[in-house]
Amino acid sequence: MSGELTLLLLRLAFLALLWLFVFGIVYALRSDLFGSRVQKLAAEPAHAPSASPFPSNPSPNPSPSPPARQPPPISTLPGGPNTAQGGRAAKATTSSAGRLVITSGPKAGEELRLSPEPLTIGRSGESGLVIRDDYTSTHHARLLLWNDEWMIQDLDSTNGTFLGGKRVSVPTQIPLNTPIRIGATSFELRR
Amino acid sequence: MPQPTDTVARADGERRVHVPRKLRNLELVLVLFASLLNGAALYLVQLGALGAFDSSFFLPATGLAVLVLGMHVALRVSAPDADPFILPIATLLNGLGIAGIYRIDLSYDLSGWESVAVRQIAWSGLAIAVAIAVVVLLRNHRVLQRYRYIAMFAGLALLLLPMLPIIGREINGARVWIGIGGFSFQPGEIAKIALAVFFAGYLVTARDSLSMVGAKFLGLRFPRVRDFGPILVIWAAAMAVLVFQRDLGTSLLYFGLFLVMIYVATARISWVLLGLLLFVGGAFAAAQLGYVGGRLNAWLTPFDNEIYNAQGGSYQLVSGLFGLANGGLIGTGLGQGMPSLTPLANSDFIIASLGEELGLAGVFAILSLYLLLVSRGLRIGFAGQDDFGRLLGVGLSFVIALQVFVVIGGVTRVIPLTGLTTPFMAAGGSSLLANWIIAAILLRLSDTVRNQPRLVVQQ
Repeated sequence: MSGELTLLLLRLAFLALLWLFVFGIVYALRSDLFGSRVQKLAAEPAHAPSASPFPSNPSPNPSPSPPARQPPPISTLPGGPNTAQGGRAAKATTSSAGRLVITSGPKAGEELRLSPEPLTIGRSGESGLVIRDDYTSTHHARLLLWNDEWMIQDLDSTNGTFLGGKRVSVPTQIPLNTPIRIGATSFELRR
Repeated sequence: MPQPTDTVARADGERRVHVPRKLRNLELVLVLFASLLNGAALYLVQLGALGAFDSSFFLPATGLAVLVLGMHVALRVSAPDADPFILPIATLLNGLGIAGIYRIDLSYDLSGWESVAVRQIAWSGLAIAVAIAVVVLLRNHRVLQRYRYIAMFAGLALLLLPMLPIIGREINGARVWIGIGGFSFQPGEIAKIALAVFFAGYLVTARDSLSMVGAKFLGLRFPRVRDFGPILVIWAAAMAVLVFQRDLGTSLLYFGLFLVMIYVATARISWVLLGLLLFVGGAFAAAQLGYVGGRLNAWLTPFDNEIYNAQGGSYQLVSGLFGLANGGLIGTGLGQGMPSLTPLANSDFIIASLGEELGLAGVFAILSLYLLLVSRGLRIGFAGQDDFGRLLGVGLSFVIALQVFVVIGGVTRVIPLTGLTTPFMAAGGSSLLANWIIAAILLRLSDTVRNQPRLVVQQ
């Protein structure tokens, strides 16, 4: 009789352990399910790459290419968003663009090195470039590579992504040294 | 363990905060927990069915746990940012499956190499070894994109292999096996990985033409007729499987995989509607061929005496339902039920066997494990960095989800019963091998999902 009781207890204990395993996993990924705590993330900028503050004026950049590379005035960007590359501003490619420089906003002057892989931008902690302000969506936009050329794609963000002052609706080629604005932050791709 | 976090200076000069150790330590704890549960399940099976402890079966099972730890070490070295939950969940599902199969073996008094469970352990060992090789050798998943057309031909060839005259085998009415010597294999299981790779590679390049153009009708944008080519080819292949190999489940699996991937790539519900119409239409036509119709009747009226007693009728399905009912809420206890009364209790009906002995509570725990596993794969779909990887992650995890739905839905009479394997659990080497490879690719893909932002802009 006691054998059966032991078996019953073992059997219930096994089911309990099985569920403990399930809930252990759910507990461990709670930040994925319910969003990450804001308090803890506030400390994260300390880890961010802290390159020497870079002047937001693009002119001191070494620019060995012809003068045509000078950034065109924003208002004269020709055509619709998809033709922003025009023919006057050089395209940002993997070989020509090496850095992403924040030009305005809370982190103006910071930069990050572009590696030849897409970069996600948004408020989510999973983004490559996290922008936390009231205007940025969780998954806001992406920088991606098409044939080694950098494109910006808006991921249906609420407040939009602006390339050279124009709202981006389809994946658009990024010219060098042209400001991209997301929320209160602007950045440029530079060599 | 060394320090929990370390700052690694990368070759490109960027300093990135690394916390892989934390993820991997979590994985280690969960893997050990899963192995403990696997051991406990075997022990309870022996206690319940034999009333005594028999250590001879534990040696191979321990070997399996060691191999899983080996995979954990391989991840530490080659994919430190990989998802920490996939490996423990796969380990536990595999172990529960072995316990369920072992339980059936005991009631048939099989031992040694005769024992299905021993063979399942051997297959698991091989599958995990292959998974380790995939994780270690496939350093960058984007390589797969380059071989998308090779993957297509490989997938189609594997799919059609069982129709060849000499090596093709027909088992239980479905011609989805090949046999070489005394050794049988289901090549379609591997084909689903190859096809997922092909679909992902193809849709990344073709999705613009598939999604941007087309006429609007009834509020939906329908694709142009000339873009119908791919979906018709896949539909024809699925129908060929249905008619010539007589396997509704496999056919549904491939077609469903394609539909979901095209939907994810183009965000067009019209593709799904078109695909479902095509498939249901084709299946209804095929139902006139007989075996599909029989399945349908067994599903709708399983308790009809005539259907219950018919050859290929609903006997198996009803017997599984009786087993589940016998299990009740908490089950009869491992080793104490009578799951072996159901035909194929260790493969197609493993969930009914485990459901009888672990009860509703156990079945729901198993379903939760599948849910978590699939959700980890889908996470790659929205957090991944490159489109190919995102599509592949969604496709592969959807394959697992669809298989679970089709099999467990079939056994519990939610949908008509079709012959697919329960991922990681059912007896059968090809399915185990394929699912462990899927787990390895998902781990590789999840390694590229960024856990740490490169720059945070905040007031």
